[in-house]
Amino acid sequence: MLQFDLNFLLSGDYRDWLVSGLLLSLQLMAITLLLALPLACGVAVLRLAPSRLLNAVGAAYVELMRNVPLLAHLLFWYFGAPELLPDAWKERLYAGNIEAVSAITALTLYTAAYMAEDLRSGLRAIPVQQFEAGRALGFSFLATMRLCILPQALRLAAPPLLSQTLNLWQNTSIATVIGVAELMYQTQRVEAASFRSVEAFVFASAAYLAVSLLLAGVAALLQKKVA
Amino acid sequence: MQTRLHFAALLFTSIAFTQVAQADQLATIKAKGELVCGTLGTDEPNSFIDAKSRQLVGYEVDLCRAIAKSLGVKPVIKQLAVAARIPELQQGRIDILTASLTHNKEREALIDFSLSTFYTGQRVLVKKSSNITTIAGLAGKKVLTVKGGTQEPNLRKAVPGVDVVTFETAGQAYLGLQQGKGVGYVDDEVSLLNNYAKLGAAQKDYLVLPQNISQEVFAFGIRKGEAGLKTAVDKVLRGLEKSGEAEQLFFKWYGPTSNVKFQKRSFKIDSDKIDA
Repeated sequence: MLQFDLNFLLSGDYRDWLVSGLLLSLQLMAITLLLALPLACGVAVLRLAPSRLLNAVGAAYVELMRNVPLLAHLLFWYFGAPELLPDAWKERLYAGNIEAVSAITALTLYTAAYMAEDLRSGLRAIPVQQFEAGRALGFSFLATMRLCILPQALRLAAPPLLSQTLNLWQNTSIATVIGVAELMYQTQRVEAASFRSVEAFVFASAAYLAVSLLLAGVAALLQKKVA
Repeated sequence: MQTRLHFAALLFTSIAFTQVAQADQLATIKAKGELVCGTLGTDEPNSFIDAKSRQLVGYEVDLCRAIAKSLGVKPVIKQLAVAARIPELQQGRIDILTASLTHNKEREALIDFSLSTFYTGQRVLVKKSSNITTIAGLAGKKVLTVKGGTQEPNLRKAVPGVDVVTFETAGQAYLGLQQGKGVGYVDDEVSLLNNYAKLGAAQKDYLVLPQNISQEVFAFGIRKGEAGLKTAVDKVLRGLEKSGEAEQLFFKWYGPTSNVKFQKRSFKIDSDKIDA
């Protein structure tokens, strides 16, 4: 058995691969988060809107996303969905970074479903009288939501949303199956090139752990502040 | 928290370094009455699942069975991912690797190899619409292949500046090419020709680039230092070559009636040496 030696990772090609993978993973998380939050707000509002039809649409979205594994979502958005587009669009899309686009699409839709549920509990924690007061003062459903209810709900939902972000961070690793060169992909690449599996995965685990602990710390701080 | 972390780290490394201690693997194989061969199962015609019988079959599967028969034990075929082959062997979960395994110098530091069982090269399949006709034309283009094999490093060596995207299986990479997600797909010659053959009428839209990107020699992987097992496996392989059975097996899977349609066999199973 080879000796455990992290040094060979800390210079040259292997380090560059791993660092670029880590940066791409962080980018995947950041972009997905920026896209998923507004979408989640929309879905949560749909589920509480004064219309049976809209409620059903919101519920259907959440169930569809949550009851299919993320891996299947990723494979669908990479191998399946783009094939349904007209040829000209397809060519334009394939000429770009289709791997990352598919990964962000799948992660965004999946994460938004979970975040919508956290937001919904946040929304439900606001006393219904506030909503009635808003309507009584002449605000529309959307205006009441936007000006009075959502800001408070977001504050209440911040800790669970951060914990969803933690899930999102770990879920970015699945993007390796569709060829996105994120941290897990680069780790496997180092492993294939060097056969130093233990060291490569120790690095990846430490990186995932460090970012996760950071997020968990922020969540704990927020929890104290909100409570 | 601190101690818990330390404990987790300790646990992780101790699992990683646990190795199965055995005196002599050949004796162990005979005692348990089975030879566990690790194959890919996704690489026709070396090892793949037959559409009719739903069984794992192929050139390497037949060779594994022949070796087990000679040793007087039962063959057990286990499927492995490309990238998991060498770790699975090192950790003792399989006895020998019969998994489209390239014999190269880097790997000699980690495992031993049997006599070479197959000689091939790696090729590139492109869409004609890409107007690429040479290996050099792939520079700066997106080329798809399987993760964890020698395809990616060989391609990068042959075409500096190529943009490689890798997948869990060769099938996914090949599907990516068909969908236009890259201009080329790289694989071992036989797997590539086999996939090319399955295109049928659509073959006119594709081109197998004439040059190889590398020379590959396949051999069976054996855990380091298991001289007894290596001698036994090599002896069986030499016997198969001598009796003509090895050649029969070659033509059964690669010959004119197969998808890859090789007319002749340009090698013999008689050496475990490779060029540097």
